[in-house]
Amino acid sequence: MTMHEKLEKIFRDAFGIEKLTDDMSIDTVEGWDSMAHVALIMALQKEFSISISPSDAIELIDIASIKAFLSQS
Amino acid sequence: MSQIEKLNDIIYTAQKNATWLAYRKAARIIRENFSSDTANLKASLTTAFLGSFTIDPLVDFVTVEAAACSIGLQAYTAPYGQVSQEILNPQSGLYAFSPDVTVLIAEADKLAKEPVAAADEIIALAQAFRQNTSGLLVVATFMMSPDWHLHLLPSERQLKLDKANQRLWETFRDDPRVQICDLDELAAYYGYANAISPEMMAMARIPFPEGFLALLAKKLISHLKVRTGLIRKCLVLDCDNTLWGGIIGEDGMNGIVLGPDWPGREFVDFQKAIFELYEQGVILAINSKNNEADVIQVLREHPHMILKEEHFASVCVNWNPKPDNMKKLADEINIGLDTMVFVDDNPAERELMCQMLPEVEVLELPANPALYAKTLRETNFFAKASLTEEDKKRGQMYAAQRQRNQLQESAATLEDYLKSLEMICSIRPAQEKDVKRAAQLTQRTNQFNLTTRRYTEENIRHMFESPEWNVYVLGLKDKFGDNGTVGLALVQKQGKQWRIDTFLMSCRIIGRQAEDALVDRICCDAISASAGGLEAEYIKTPKNALVMDFWDKMDFVKTDSDEITAHYHYDLENYAPKNFEYLKIE
Repeated sequence: MTMHEKLEKIFRDAFGIEKLTDDMSIDTVEGWDSMAHVALIMALQKEFSISISPSDAIELIDIASIKAFLSQS
Repeated sequence: MSQIEKLNDIIYTAQKNATWLAYRKAARIIRENFSSDTANLKASLTTAFLGSFTIDPLVDFVTVEAAACSIGLQAYTAPYGQVSQEILNPQSGLYAFSPDVTVLIAEADKLAKEPVAAADEIIALAQAFRQNTSGLLVVATFMMSPDWHLHLLPSERQLKLDKANQRLWETFRDDPRVQICDLDELAAYYGYANAISPEMMAMARIPFPEGFLALLAKKLISHLKVRTGLIRKCLVLDCDNTLWGGIIGEDGMNGIVLGPDWPGREFVDFQKAIFELYEQGVILAINSKNNEADVIQVLREHPHMILKEEHFASVCVNWNPKPDNMKKLADEINIGLDTMVFVDDNPAERELMCQMLPEVEVLELPANPALYAKTLRETNFFAKASLTEEDKKRGQMYAAQRQRNQLQESAATLEDYLKSLEMICSIRPAQEKDVKRAAQLTQRTNQFNLTTRRYTEENIRHMFESPEWNVYVLGLKDKFGDNGTVGLALVQKQGKQWRIDTFLMSCRIIGRQAEDALVDRICCDAISASAGGLEAEYIKTPKNALVMDFWDKMDFVKTDSDEITAHYHYDLENYAPKNFEYLKIE
């Protein structure tokens, strides 16, 4: 699976998003609240085997930033 | 997809992903659609969660794992960090929610400066909790993860935490209102290094990583299962390649794999785990396709069998389909199929059992026998919160029952049989030591139970301390052993009329005149107290048809009845105490 496909699966399972686009964010995706954000960060760490610091975590609030962060890691 | 398939699908997806994100979504769907779905879930419970950290992830994990065990959970999550306030304030959200079960997990350093004082704080909170609600409190122990695991000096902090945990155990070990959830032991099993996540603690005050959250949720489910009575009673075992390696019918006594060294040791280890369950009161039985004589010979003569003939309540060895045998075992032992767990190395047999008898729990044994014991030890089918004397002796009692059945088959008449049992019956007022068993009898007895009223230990204690009630317990011994406390009557003395509130017998002693003796005793006591009559009831349930005409047989007169309840009266004026030919009364 590509990074996009893995992300899309996470968002589909968690928020029912069928087609993930880069402009989606914590403001537009229903159910992506602050508690869900913590759960999302945990899921990203597990799926991509990375560690995300709190300062990075608060920036990762839209798909474009998440993808940019993941390609650097 | 049916509702139950949908539910199973949701649970499966969460468990497979094993992330909080997935559990969170599953928990939301379950809350919205299934939490009070009595058609698909066997029990429903209100449960409150109090934590000194962000406890929301744990609530989601428990909600999903509870649904996986057919328990619908309605959860209350206390505001972050409000443990003491919620418990101490009688007007708190916790008490407004009135939970059946309250889970309290607090870090020691959040409660007090040093660990033992933190334990004392929990003990004080439990005291306040008791005064405000009648629910069950589940208290977690403190985690003792080492701070400097490669250092050489003992850690003062750890020693203190150990002392604090011991204090919790000493205080609550026999407390019917408080159960300890040994978080420390669970973390030690999982591995301290992996049971704490400093990253998530820093980011969101969530101490536990997802893998450990799932395990902790399962541990908490054990507490919920005890509360709902969804505890299994009987472990039913296959023989070949389950209790020993190889096939007895082909390999013979000397050819089967069982002994102190490898290979063979893995089966001994498995039998040891099973034996530990037997010692905790789990009933054992055999359901296998073999020649019966072969299996009996192994049980009696093989030097390395841990499990012997006398440990089994019933041995069903033949070539019939195993679901048929399972029903036969349930009848013979006199328990429900929904209290049985089936163990078989053959996946086809397991599948057949699942399909034919879905109420039987089937253990998914791994292919490698070296993992059998570990797999069994990771289940909570038989988790108990306390052990009664009856629990410890249950295995022996059922094995003795098997011998009685054999005697009954060989006796010419029922009278011969009863006479040959040499029974001694004791009927006495309950004392403190009987409370646990008496409450257990009201909670577990379904068939020979005239009114099926369930009582807690506190209810029972209140009754025998009250001058208004007589609490009778009945014990029965015979030449095969002591059956323990197997009968109970709760009688309310309402002046000249005594009311039999509860009258029940354990199924294994039905038809041996003990029930007649108990009625006789109540009559005699009532007459001594100058009462003129007895009031009794039969309340119909799906399980107690066995005793629908019990009072009629005892010559009580039916005064009125509807579809559910029949009322009876018995006039004591001309009562003559009875003699029991086969029963010696103590």
